[in-house]
Amino acid sequence: MSPPDPGRRMKRVEIKLNISAVAPLLDIIKQAADDLRQNLAIRATFPEEDSEFNETWTAELLAGQNSDVRELLGLFGREFFADGTIAIDSNNSDSLLRGCSALRIQILTRWLQGIPADLLEDEDVPPEAIADEVRVPFASYTFLDQVQKIILEHLDPTAAEA
Amino acid sequence: MAETKIKKTQRAAPAPKPRLTDVWRVVVLNDPVNRMSYVVMVLRRVFGFAEERARKHMLEIHEKGRSVLWAGTREQAEAYVFALQQWHLTAVAQPDEPA
Repeated sequence: MSPPDPGRRMKRVEIKLNISAVAPLLDIIKQAADDLRQNLAIRATFPEEDSEFNETWTAELLAGQNSDVRELLGLFGREFFADGTIAIDSNNSDSLLRGCSALRIQILTRWLQGIPADLLEDEDVPPEAIADEVRVPFASYTFLDQVQKIILEHLDPTAAEA
Repeated sequence: MAETKIKKTQRAAPAPKPRLTDVWRVVVLNDPVNRMSYVVMVLRRVFGFAEERARKHMLEIHEKGRSVLWAGTREQAEAYVFALQQWHLTAVAQPDEPA
């Protein structure tokens, strides 16, 4: 018997966000999304040296990544700017989880290489601990982490980290 | 001439190419971005692991930098690696080294 698939158990969750706080983060997220249009967040490794096989492999990963990122950006369309609410359910949760992951990797790669790992993993970093020029990218990185955390908690409440 | 022959003899033999029948391992490497609960969820989803087993592998990845998740046919290893890469985990398929 296979274990229950946590992705199919999620009820619809609506998250109310502060529009003026999220709007500047979306500029960074959209720039990261642009970067990812032609590039994988993590360089793929291939089991064999067959250029045709590897091109197909990469193209399929890229198509999936683009679809996931589009799904995430779609949360922040006209409706979001009307009432500040995003809605997550079983239909979009997988895409959103993957989209958050891809965008966080790209934000780290492009803007946050100089930030120590312990700060990146700390959920309560005071803003003054982060240099001015990367404060918005860092906030975008932690915002996507929090979106991912909320989804994971609703997929499987036992998965919450201490 | 003789020297050339000696050099040719001493040249290391090329590594044998992995065969389709070899045992392949699926290895996941640590990354600085994905949260622990995300990795556990992905391992459960991709391999059908129970929570405890997925958590054990996640901790091994976190603490040792890598964990061997699965071993078996090359075709299935490739499918697992592709699925893991779709979730943005750093995963590789490697032929099992001979004993």
